[in-house]
Amino acid sequence: MTVPASPHEDRWGPRRARIVAGALALAFTVIVGRSAQIAFNGPHEADAAVAVATERRADIVDRNGDLLATSLPAWSLSADPRAIWDARETAEAIASVMPGTNVKDLTARLSDRNKHFVWIQRGMTPRQRQTVFDLGLEGLRFDEEMRRVYPGGKLAGHLIGFTDVDGKGVEGMEHVFNDRLAKGGEPLRLTIDAGVQYALEAELERAYEDFDMKGAAGVVVDSSTGAVRAMASWPGIDPNRPGDSNADVRLNKATGAVYELGSIYKPLTVAAAFEAGVLSVNDLFDVSAPLKVGGATVRDAHPLEHPHAVTPQDILAYSSNIGAAEIGQRLAPGQQKDFLASLGLLTKPVYAGPPAASPITPKSWDALTLATVSYGHGIAVSPLAFAMTYTPFANGGELLSPAFLEPVEAATIEKRRVMSEPTARAVMGMMRQTVVIGTGKQAEAPGYEVAGKTGTAEKPGPNGYDADKNITSFAAVFPASRPQFVVLIVLDEAQPRTGDARTAAFTAAAIAGRLIARAAPMLDVAPVLQAPADAPRQGLRTISEQRTL
Amino acid sequence: MRKLVIIGLLVIAGLAVGVYRAKLGAEETSVRIEKTEAEVRKVTEEIAVLKAEEAYLSRPERIGPMARDKLGLEPSSPGQFTAPEALSQRLGEERLTLPVEAIVAPAAPAPVKPAPVKPAPVKPAAKAPVAPVTAPKETPAQ
Repeated sequence: MTVPASPHEDRWGPRRARIVAGALALAFTVIVGRSAQIAFNGPHEADAAVAVATERRADIVDRNGDLLATSLPAWSLSADPRAIWDARETAEAIASVMPGTNVKDLTARLSDRNKHFVWIQRGMTPRQRQTVFDLGLEGLRFDEEMRRVYPGGKLAGHLIGFTDVDGKGVEGMEHVFNDRLAKGGEPLRLTIDAGVQYALEAELERAYEDFDMKGAAGVVVDSSTGAVRAMASWPGIDPNRPGDSNADVRLNKATGAVYELGSIYKPLTVAAAFEAGVLSVNDLFDVSAPLKVGGATVRDAHPLEHPHAVTPQDILAYSSNIGAAEIGQRLAPGQQKDFLASLGLLTKPVYAGPPAASPITPKSWDALTLATVSYGHGIAVSPLAFAMTYTPFANGGELLSPAFLEPVEAATIEKRRVMSEPTARAVMGMMRQTVVIGTGKQAEAPGYEVAGKTGTAEKPGPNGYDADKNITSFAAVFPASRPQFVVLIVLDEAQPRTGDARTAAFTAAAIAGRLIARAAPMLDVAPVLQAPADAPRQGLRTISEQRTL
Repeated sequence: MRKLVIIGLLVIAGLAVGVYRAKLGAEETSVRIEKTEAEVRKVTEEIAVLKAEEAYLSRPERIGPMARDKLGLEPSSPGQFTAPEALSQRLGEERLTLPVEAIVAPAAPAPVKPAPVKPAPVKPAAKAPVAPVTAPKETPAQ
């Protein structure tokens, strides 16, 4: 008797086998196909590895968007000493394509088997990387990183500052706004105008051709907003190679150094006396004889033409120390001190910008101090801090804080009234006359109505003031009839190569005049035009004003 | 029941294939995204390099001397500005500086059309001289 086979076993057995075989074949095919795809195309992770996640530091641009600082891709070269067979051979090979490499030092570092990582070079260009790569050396490693580049070279070098090899800001705006820049994103827009900045730097450079000098600084400030349109320190530095300059050169003399600036304080003395109600424009002073104050004697470098009866305007125009001291004596020491304090000259300036130096102020405010400070001795401040004290003369009496970042909006402008409008206007008129008839003649820029004051101060030394070493300066406002900008030029020990006198009238004033003539069109300052003789008499007007008539 | 199992297996197999394809597609898309992102980064870096080059080439220190030496350009001076009501006087001054011939240019001679001349009736007097026919004189330039 035969047991009949189960119909199900007969029917499904071979089918199951085929299904399993088919499934296995399918799985095998998929595996093989995927393997082939990977083999021919490579794992996609390799593509992702091309891009190294490095945060790009934000650019720095000027007020018009012109690029001042940017970050570009670069390569860093490192090595694993344990993977290097012959350290000396490797060091010599690297030195052969990278001049300046210290073979002895590099050999020593590559021989240190206790380390597994040694930096060799940072910030290499793609071409340098390829050159080293082509050497085929073992144990070397390249990493992509960002390198800070300053395409303008020395342009605004002190103001912009620079970063270290790790991309961290260590000087200037790079340092002050490091956190903001490190986050990347939108460029940091400065208030400076690259064209005006270049004009300022070029004029300071030209000053060195005309004068033998130790250093210089210059500032151009918008007197209605406080925006710094240019700020320079001479000699300049190239942020691409900060190591080429010593610490003295790297110092931003416009903000980080303090100077006794001399007679450019006299307009402040006159303004303080007007505000205190102890001076009027028609008062007369006798400056014919030296003035004895305490144990010192105040003299004028050049006697005035009619010294027995000079007005405050004459005192400014011809820069009489005696006259300034006499005006100062009308003030109580506290009044002068409070006025200078209100202008921010007695404390360290606070603003969002390059580090500011603290002023050197008198220890006691006695009669002698009162007299010497009246003509700018015995107190030392930074050029930028002083330049800001002329903004009230230009805008009707309000002191502004310097602004370095755009946009400068009306709501964010920091201003404080420090003098009345009539005082500001009266002193402006006197400073205009200083340029028209007085010591500031060389600062005149035809059409731009320069108003200003010269300052020549003896430099203090170990044995008192040195008559042979001067700080010469010129502080200006232009145009006088509708003031828009303040300019300050400071020269350290400027000695004309032509043999002229080394006073500010022959040094700083000329630089300021040339700068104003050159920068005014870039600052959209239209020259003041004289109406033609046959036209209806309507006074002096600008082009834009005339067009609106 | 068996049919149901078979159908279920087929559905599961189909879903497995679908999931695999979806995963594979996602991976491929991810790869494409990464490639695109890498390309964007590369282009961004190239743009940064080009901007830096542009800034380097257009820095005032370089452009200033080139504009002066090659194009004769200088910073504008106050004398180059003028007021609208002074324009006529200014233009008059500039006109006077032009060469005289440029200001008082001789008028181009108008094309002269010769007056039609009636042919004189031919007379048989063969020996009589024939008066020459001349064009009218041109009006001198004013």
